[in-house]
Amino acid sequence: MSSAQIAVERIELPADSPARRPLAKLAWHWRNNPKRELWLAWYAIVAFYQMFFIVFFLITRAQPPGKPWWNSTQVVQWFDQMHNGLLWGFAVIFLLGGMSAFSTALIAYSMRRMSVSPAFAYSYLIMYSLAAVPGMLLLCVALTAGALRPDRDPELIHAIFDLAFVSFVGTMGVFLIGSVIWMVAILLDKNRVFPKWFAYLNLCNALTEVVIAPACIFKRGVFSWNGQISWWLDMVVFGIYTGAFIGQLRTMILREDVGTGPLPDAAPRPAADAAVPAGAAA
Amino acid sequence: MSTTFDPPAEAAAAAPVDWDRASRDNVPGQPDIWLFVLFETLVFAGYFGFYLYNRPRHPGAYLAAQQELHLPLGIVETLTLLTSSLLIARSVEAARSQQWNTALRNAYATASCGVLFLTLKVIEWISEARAGNTPISNEFFSYYYFLTGLHLLHLLIGFAFLGVLVHRLRGPAARSREVIETCGVYWHTVDYLWVLIFALLYVVR
Amino acid sequence: MRRRDGELLLYWALPAVLGVWLSAFLLFPGFTRPMSPAMSADAVAGFYRDHVWRIRASMIVFNWFSVGLIPVLMLIVLQIRRMGHRTPILAYCMIGCAAAGPTLFLTADLFWMIAAFRPERDAGITQLLNDLGWITFTCGVPFLIAQSVFLALAIYLDRLERPVFQPWVAHFNLVVAAALVPAAFAGLALDGAVAWNGLLSFWLKNAAIAVWIAVMWLVLGRAMRQERAAEAPAV
Repeated sequence: MSSAQIAVERIELPADSPARRPLAKLAWHWRNNPKRELWLAWYAIVAFYQMFFIVFFLITRAQPPGKPWWNSTQVVQWFDQMHNGLLWGFAVIFLLGGMSAFSTALIAYSMRRMSVSPAFAYSYLIMYSLAAVPGMLLLCVALTAGALRPDRDPELIHAIFDLAFVSFVGTMGVFLIGSVIWMVAILLDKNRVFPKWFAYLNLCNALTEVVIAPACIFKRGVFSWNGQISWWLDMVVFGIYTGAFIGQLRTMILREDVGTGPLPDAAPRPAADAAVPAGAAA
Repeated sequence: MSTTFDPPAEAAAAAPVDWDRASRDNVPGQPDIWLFVLFETLVFAGYFGFYLYNRPRHPGAYLAAQQELHLPLGIVETLTLLTSSLLIARSVEAARSQQWNTALRNAYATASCGVLFLTLKVIEWISEARAGNTPISNEFFSYYYFLTGLHLLHLLIGFAFLGVLVHRLRGPAARSREVIETCGVYWHTVDYLWVLIFALLYVVR
Repeated sequence: MRRRDGELLLYWALPAVLGVWLSAFLLFPGFTRPMSPAMSADAVAGFYRDHVWRIRASMIVFNWFSVGLIPVLMLIVLQIRRMGHRTPILAYCMIGCAAAGPTLFLTADLFWMIAAFRPERDAGITQLLNDLGWITFTCGVPFLIAQSVFLALAIYLDRLERPVFQPWVAHFNLVVAAALVPAAFAGLALDGAVAWNGLLSFWLKNAAIAVWIAVMWLVLGRAMRQERAAEAPAV
């Protein structure tokens, strides 16, 4: 069965269904859409990243990070200014941070759908699950502790500040290896779950994670934890990567046939292309 | 789970039937690798941009630090990589004409050049460090170690691509023109990034 | 039929693990009368000096058994795999939570243990370590909440004729998740119900977790029995 010719239709309400209002439509999909688990995960991922952005960039202003070259007095000032934002913002993360598991699960599932060994999916699942603690929650705990007692010794507050940001930046190695695992899985995959360019984008992302490593050493300049290279350029790449993978996951779900063979294409191909043999590099 | 390379029972020693189909496509190798090349170029352009933006702020310090670099060594390294690019181009060319042994020999030669470059780079780093120029000594050297280090990482990944190339050249049914060309493109990218770094760090004063 | 040797062993190990856990809980003086966030640095340092052996002992035991819940969580994951879903995604979500949740608990233990290691340290540092431990322990609920929500979703989406878990289990999980919500806000108060020694963040949260473990253990047992009965050869 040549995968080039199979089109997967969008799951739609039957034309004569009385359920036309948005809420009723949602209820219909919840009950009947065979891919509802996947869509649930996908919408949760979108919601999670939006929440992450709002909390980290707007409410707590933990990103872009405070400056590593500040002295203790300036650090204490930052905590004072951001006091309420830090406490409320991170409370939201403590509440909703578990949603990140949907992202890890959906990506792990994408690797299960591939023709490669399940070891890839399980490796990725474990890596990203455990990375959440030192990589995100430790920062939340540390900055909450810092904001909790403004009258603490400034040197201690400075230590908390360092603990938060160095831990956030220093765990990028985990995400680096995870990206490489996903990349290798995509390159070896025969089920055409993702296009190969996305594998190379994973490589770009992995290399970007490497670039953050100097932030554990430099306290000022472009390689410090909020430097132009280690943070700004890095965030641009990460933003592009995140947008790309969310889009790719969506395409994958649309094409999904919950089978084990090659994933069908999303839209019917014109008749001329249907005659082309399915790829020279099978 | 099947392995990546699943030779059908009647595999001949020759290449798959539609070997020249790839030449009908516009782009050598997987089109996807070109996206990678473009993206990495943009990112490196970003790094160079920051370097060029920060350099004029301390021109004296940068110039003084640059004197510490061994230009002759840099030239040898550049020549090594340029040679390796030539060799891999020959390898891909031989593969296109289905001359597998020539292609393999050239691929191994490319790898040797890569190893030579790696060795020279490490020697250079050690000698710079001994002279007191470490990543934290001054701004120029932080850029130097960063750019050359990141480039070296690309080179190491290049060895992985070379491994794939060799694998694809050896197994009769594994030969895929697209993948072979893709590996070539990656290696050329490593070379061309080095030329830019060399020009920026060693030459431009 | 999948391999099942040893599952009953893992299942029945839980009461033993819980027994040990409970004794460690009672041993840790910070729990028997929950420490107040409003304590001064000197009071905290004094606390660690006065109770140093009980703290060290309880933390050692917690470290041994902090991952003790994971086998039962994995048994629950296996039951989720049995459910009528099209994909294993919710099982993966559960695995993800099981990886992260106990890690947070272990981290909290480590902070307290470090504080107790040198009680003669500067009082401010001891207080900081104590704070980090308590915040991690109390506020570190995201994966517990998520775990219950994922389990509830899995049950709601189960399309088997005879679902693995009854719908009330799903409702129960949502109630437990709701009970854990106040604890996420413990960083906002130094006293009162939401503070880490308060009614909502300490008593409600820990009681909810205990009840969850007990109820899920019983429900899991029933599901496992049903699973074996369904695959027993016809008499």
